[in-house]
Amino acid sequence: MTRFPMTRRSFASLALAATSALALSAAAQAQAFDPEAVVNIGSLYEPQNLDNTAGAGQGINEAFNGNVYEGLFVLTDDGDVEPKLAADYEISDDGLTYTFTLQDGVTFHSGDPLTAADVKSSIERVTAENSASSRKSTLAVIDSIETPDDKTVVVTLKTPSISLPYNLSYVWIVNDAATDISSSEDGTGPYTLQEWRRGSALSMVPFEGYWGEKPSNGGVMFQYFTDATAQNNALLTGAVDIITSVQSPDALSMFSDNDDFTVSEGASTTKELMAYNDRIEPFDDPKVRGALAMAVDNEKLLNAIWGDYGTLIGSFVPPTDPWYVDLTDVNAYDPEAAKAQLAEAGYPDGFSFTLDTPDYDPHPVVAQFVQNELAKVGVEVKINIITANEWYTKIYKAHDFEATLQEHVNHRDIVFYGNPDFYWGYDNPEVARLIAESENVSSMEEQTEMLAEANRIIAEDAASMWLYLYPQIVVSTASVTGYPLNGLNSQFFVSDIKKAE
Amino acid sequence: MSAVTRSRPRSNPVHWLGYGLVGIVVLFGVVSFFWTPYALSDMAGGRLEPPSAAHWAGTDRLGRDLFTQLMIGARIALVVGCGAVLIGGVIGIVTGVLAAFATRVADDALAAVFDILIAFPTLLIAMLVVAAREEASLGTAILALGIGLSPIVGRITRILTKRVLSKDYITAARVSGTGWGSIVFWHVLPNIAPFLGVNLALQFGLAVMAEASLSYLGLGAPPPNASWGRMLQEAQGTVYTAPWGALLPGLALFALVIGINLLADGLRDRFDPQRRDG
Repeated sequence: MTRFPMTRRSFASLALAATSALALSAAAQAQAFDPEAVVNIGSLYEPQNLDNTAGAGQGINEAFNGNVYEGLFVLTDDGDVEPKLAADYEISDDGLTYTFTLQDGVTFHSGDPLTAADVKSSIERVTAENSASSRKSTLAVIDSIETPDDKTVVVTLKTPSISLPYNLSYVWIVNDAATDISSSEDGTGPYTLQEWRRGSALSMVPFEGYWGEKPSNGGVMFQYFTDATAQNNALLTGAVDIITSVQSPDALSMFSDNDDFTVSEGASTTKELMAYNDRIEPFDDPKVRGALAMAVDNEKLLNAIWGDYGTLIGSFVPPTDPWYVDLTDVNAYDPEAAKAQLAEAGYPDGFSFTLDTPDYDPHPVVAQFVQNELAKVGVEVKINIITANEWYTKIYKAHDFEATLQEHVNHRDIVFYGNPDFYWGYDNPEVARLIAESENVSSMEEQTEMLAEANRIIAEDAASMWLYLYPQIVVSTASVTGYPLNGLNSQFFVSDIKKAE
Repeated sequence: MSAVTRSRPRSNPVHWLGYGLVGIVVLFGVVSFFWTPYALSDMAGGRLEPPSAAHWAGTDRLGRDLFTQLMIGARIALVVGCGAVLIGGVIGIVTGVLAAFATRVADDALAAVFDILIAFPTLLIAMLVVAAREEASLGTAILALGIGLSPIVGRITRILTKRVLSKDYITAARVSGTGWGSIVFWHVLPNIAPFLGVNLALQFGLAVMAEASLSYLGLGAPPPNASWGRMLQEAQGTVYTAPWGALLPGLALFALVIGINLLADGLRDRFDPQRRDG
């Protein structure tokens, strides 16, 4: 048996260091915090229900991950996977058996103690036939779960899976006696649900019997907005203390020159891309895709959409994924070379295609930019505006499209390129092999090496046109500190948030 | 014509404002076919530049010239207004006249259909047309708005036609052996034309507004067509930092619609027989 080596990976860039320095000085000024204060958080993502295996949407993860529910592991704000409800664990030498020992003294909000049976039923809830969890497929590798005693869970895998701890960080441990978790909860987290008012707010208060460190605030309330402008106004007027996602740089002008507010940029995982249907002509030819990539000036586009914010990454992997490589040099902007390469690929006069464009910002503007850029190399783009629903049925389900625009929010989602049945239909056996085999290795280093290689291949293949990485901008009133900044699409840990007196 | 000129009322400066506003929009719309300051696809300007000598109305996020887009927007507004009024007018006048001539039962039925269709939201019609054609385009917007306008025109035509048909000179014409077709063309249409013309002008204004709403919602002309509604929508997120991007298309829309309304007012004063002086 070998103890699993936990790889710590820090991605503190200069900008981040600067931000945290600012946050520190702000914290120094606001040392006296009020442990009873309720923190109001503005969000655009209202959950549909409270069960993350029942299609509740990203909002429930934002509100409940790490706050109301905990997993065996936790993905920290720094991007590391650390044990949470698992006090300790061991992996067999063949990598097929994980033995988890649970934390002592953990109770659910209902008062029931945490047992191995709860863990087993919680994992099975995610892998169940009717589960709508986006993590379902990543846990399909689990063969069986045994519970030899109350404190021990033994998970047996069909094939080795190096990402199991990471994947388990998204599995909520729910009391197996809980009956209705789509409108109530029974987790082990530092907060219990106080009230959920559909359409407006969700409030949580500290759980007295929490096994870990006590929260540094007296509760939080997520207030839901359907409109970014209304959300910004709520922050301006003091109705909320923090907004988790600023949607445009222009909204920031209200806050950035104002000492009453703190603007922080964290590391985002949201990527804007133009996905081709790689199954069909002419997009089945990497030469054509590469030429199109060279024809579009991503830097100008990023500036148009986000001003001075955001990052270019040149592929699908954000800097917070361990296998990030700066690939902006691959198929870099060069319209003359693009024209030559199109001619070489048999399209000296260009071609035309339809770009299915979701009807919400920034896609229509991005579509016009791409249209103008490609027109310069003789490729005609016809923009077809569709709704989010149409996108799901026509493109995601039926694969009935030539090219489309979309933002992908998850981290570690390069795995999509290893699945030829995914909507964009990228089919490169070498990439599929690297992605599949990277799960079977025994160290993070090997996994990172293989996925970085896959990352390089998809970039050289120009599998899709990766336009830019969104910035992750959090704005708060100056009296609030201690909130997370990174990877906020799937979690927003509120326990350390402090509000000055 | 001379009879009209003789009986013209005192000219009203407000009406001239209407002619002026519509005239400016038409001028820009027509000129946009031959010339615009920049190409629509020219993204060489900076991000959200304020109005300047180089960009009279500033630029949008992509660095495109907003004055160019306003001119093309004028063209689109006029094309949509004319197209919708043409479609709505033809359908409405034909069904309205038919209803007026129909039997009592058929007339009542058509009148009820007009009333129901008027209550039917144009937006819903537009969505149905888009769904049937499988994509939004300028054509679908024109078709949807035309269909939406037709019951309003139909209802007014029916009432006006019935009023004309009850006149003694119609009875005289019938007695002298004139066919129904001739009666419609020589007696009904000329008599209802002034009133109907004013109404169609008002409908034109409504159609322009409705197209802006449809485009704002993404059901109108797809990008990069610079409809004023689309321009408003694209400028929405930057209204604090670059207010001109939203203000100018809004003002253009306001100018055209108010201009059309004043123009319709003027037309009525000029051609409505019941308003003619002595």
